[in-house]
Amino acid sequence: MKTNKIFLAISTLILLASCGRSGDTSSSKETNQKQVSISFSGAFALYPLAQKWAEAYNKTHPEVRFDIQAGGAGKGLTDALSGAVDVGMFSRAITDAEKSKGTWYIALCKDAVIPTINPANPYINTIRERGITKDQFKAIFVDQSVKRWEDLLSIKGGQGAKIDVFTRSDASGAADSWASFFGKKQENLKGLGMNGDPGVSDAVKRDKNSIGYNNTLFLFDIRTGKQIPGIEAVPIDVNGNGKIDEDEKSYADLNTFLKAVNDGKYPSPPARDLYFITKGKPAKKEVLDFFNWVLTDGQQLVQSAGYVPLPQDAINEQLNKLK
Amino acid sequence: MLITRCEKRESEHISPSIHHSQLTIHKQTPAQTNFQTMTKRIFIDKLSSRWMVLCLSVFLLLPLAIGLGLVLKSSDLWRTHAIGSLIFSKDWSPSESQFGFWPFILSSLWVTVVGLVISMPLCLLSAIFLTQFAPNWMLRFMRPVIDILAGIPSVVYGVWGVLVIVPLVADIIAPMFHSESLGYSILAGALVLSVMSIPYILNMILEVFRQVPIELGEASLSLGATKWETIKHVFLRKGATGIISAYGLGFSKALGETIAVMMVIGNVVQVPTSVFDAGYPLPALVANNYGEMMSIPSYDSALMFGSLLLFLIIITINVIFRYIIYKSEAI
Repeated sequence: MKTNKIFLAISTLILLASCGRSGDTSSSKETNQKQVSISFSGAFALYPLAQKWAEAYNKTHPEVRFDIQAGGAGKGLTDALSGAVDVGMFSRAITDAEKSKGTWYIALCKDAVIPTINPANPYINTIRERGITKDQFKAIFVDQSVKRWEDLLSIKGGQGAKIDVFTRSDASGAADSWASFFGKKQENLKGLGMNGDPGVSDAVKRDKNSIGYNNTLFLFDIRTGKQIPGIEAVPIDVNGNGKIDEDEKSYADLNTFLKAVNDGKYPSPPARDLYFITKGKPAKKEVLDFFNWVLTDGQQLVQSAGYVPLPQDAINEQLNKLK
Repeated sequence: MLITRCEKRESEHISPSIHHSQLTIHKQTPAQTNFQTMTKRIFIDKLSSRWMVLCLSVFLLLPLAIGLGLVLKSSDLWRTHAIGSLIFSKDWSPSESQFGFWPFILSSLWVTVVGLVISMPLCLLSAIFLTQFAPNWMLRFMRPVIDILAGIPSVVYGVWGVLVIVPLVADIIAPMFHSESLGYSILAGALVLSVMSIPYILNMILEVFRQVPIELGEASLSLGATKWETIKHVFLRKGATGIISAYGLGFSKALGETIAVMMVIGNVVQVPTSVFDAGYPLPALVANNYGEMMSIPSYDSALMFGSLLLFLIIITINVIFRYIIYKSEAI
C-alpha cells in the first residue's frame, strides 16, 4: 500500500513537471521573444499556398506559429467571423451580406476552378477536340436537361452513358465560383455532393462517366506541372464554335494554364481572386506584418506555388488597405 | 465503540500539567462530545446526498437547456415562416428564403429505419447464439471485438463505406434488383449505420440475456421444452423489455450519426423514392452547411431549426420506445 502511494506521488510529480516544461518552450535564450500563433481555416484552394507562405515566413520570423486547416471557404468565413480563427481563407467573391457582417479582406492572387472528367470516358477524344461550352455546362450542372454523354455531344447510337455529375456538399468557394460561371449559386448545382475538393476528385477518378470540378492544384501536380493521372481537365469552348482553338488549348501543363488565366483567355469566373479575410481590420500586429510580407516578398512564391500573381496596381491597392 | 471514543476525548482534554481550576473549563461532558460528532456526521451525510441531487439535476436540466437554446437560436426562422411550411415543404433554396425540411426529415428516417432493419435481426440472433449455443471462449473473445467495433472512429467507417460499400451497392446490389445507382445512396448509408450501431445493440442484448436467471431456462428444459422453445418462450419473453430498449438506443445512435453517413449518402436534396436514391439526412445538412451560415440571411437560424427538429425527433422516438417497453412489461 505504501509503495503504491509513493509511486503515485512520483508519477504525479513527473506529470506536473512535464506540463510546466512544455509551456516554457516559448522563452528563447537570448531575446525575450514571445511565441505568437496565427490560425487559418478555410478554402482548399488556398491551403497549399498558405502552407508554403507559412514555411517561408518562418525562416525570417521563427517566433510565429501557423495553424492552418482546410474545410471549405464557407467554414473559413464562419470561423473568422465567430473568432474561432484569426484569418479565414476565401476562394470566391465576398457578397454584400458578408461585408455587412464586418468582413475585412485582402486579395492575394488568382487561381481557377476547372471542370474535370475521367480520361476513361468513352467519348474522351470528341470532348478533347470539341470542348464543352458554357451553356452546355449549365445544362449539365444546373438544369440537368442533358443526361447522357451521347445527347451532349450529339452522337447517334452509343451505349447510353449517363452523365454522373459530382458537386461539393460542403460550403465551398470553388462551387460558388464554378456556379457563377453561368450566373448561378452553389445551391443550384445539382449532382451527388462530395465532401471537400479531394472528395470530388476521388469520385471522378473512380467513375468513367463522371464530370465534376476542382481547384487548380487538385488537378495539376505542382512538382511535374502535368495533370494528375486518372483525372483530366475538360477544355472549355469559350467562343462556342464547337472546337477547341489554339488559345483555348491551355491545359497541357500548369504554366501554360496559369498564363491563360493571367491573360484572361480562361474565363473569370471560374477563375477568381483568393482572399484572406478577418473580422474587421486585424488587431494583432503579427497578422498585419504577415499580410504585408505576403503582398511584398510573398508574391515571389505565388507563381512557383501554382497560382497567378495579381497585377502590381491591385497589390498596391491592398497594401494601402493595410496602412 | 462510541463510548470509548468519548472517554478518550475526555482524557485528552485533561492535561496533568495544567492548573486544577482550568481543568473545569476545558472539560466536556460525554453528552456534549457525542452531540458534536453526531452533528458533524449528520452534516456530512446530508451534504453527500444533496451533492448527488445536484449532479442529477444538472443531468436533467441539460436537455432542457439544449432544447431551449435551440428554440431561441432558431426563433429568427419560425417567427418569419409558417411552421407547417417549414416541416412539410419540399423546396430548399436558402438564397430565396425557401426552407423546406421535408426531404431531410424523410432521408433521416429512411436511412435509420433501413439501417435498423438490417442490424436488428443480426444482433438478436448473434446474441442468442453467443449466449446459448456458443462455447464460453467465443463469448469472451467477442467482447474485445465488440469494443473495437464500438471504438472505431466515425470517419474511418465513412472512408470504409466509400471504398467498399459504395462500389458494392453500385456494382452488385443495385443490378440484383434491376435498379441503377451510383452507389452513393440510402442503402449505402444504411449499411454503414447498421455496422456502426451493432456494438451498442449487441452489448445491451448480451447484458439482457445475462440477467435472465439460468434457473428459468433449466426449469423450462426440465419440463420437456426444446432448446429453441426455451429460448423463444423464456429468454426472449423475459428479456423483451431490454431488447426493445436496446433497439431504441440503436435508433437514437443511428439517427444522429453524421460523418460516416455524410460521406456515402450522396447529399442530394430530394425526397428519396427508393433505397437506391441519394438522400440528405438532417445531421449531414448541419455539418455540411455550417460554413454557409454567415453568408445567407437566416441560414444560421435554419440550421438551428434543423438541429431542433433532430432533437425533437429523437425525443419522440424515445417516448415511443418507452411506451412500447411499458406496454410489453404489462404482458
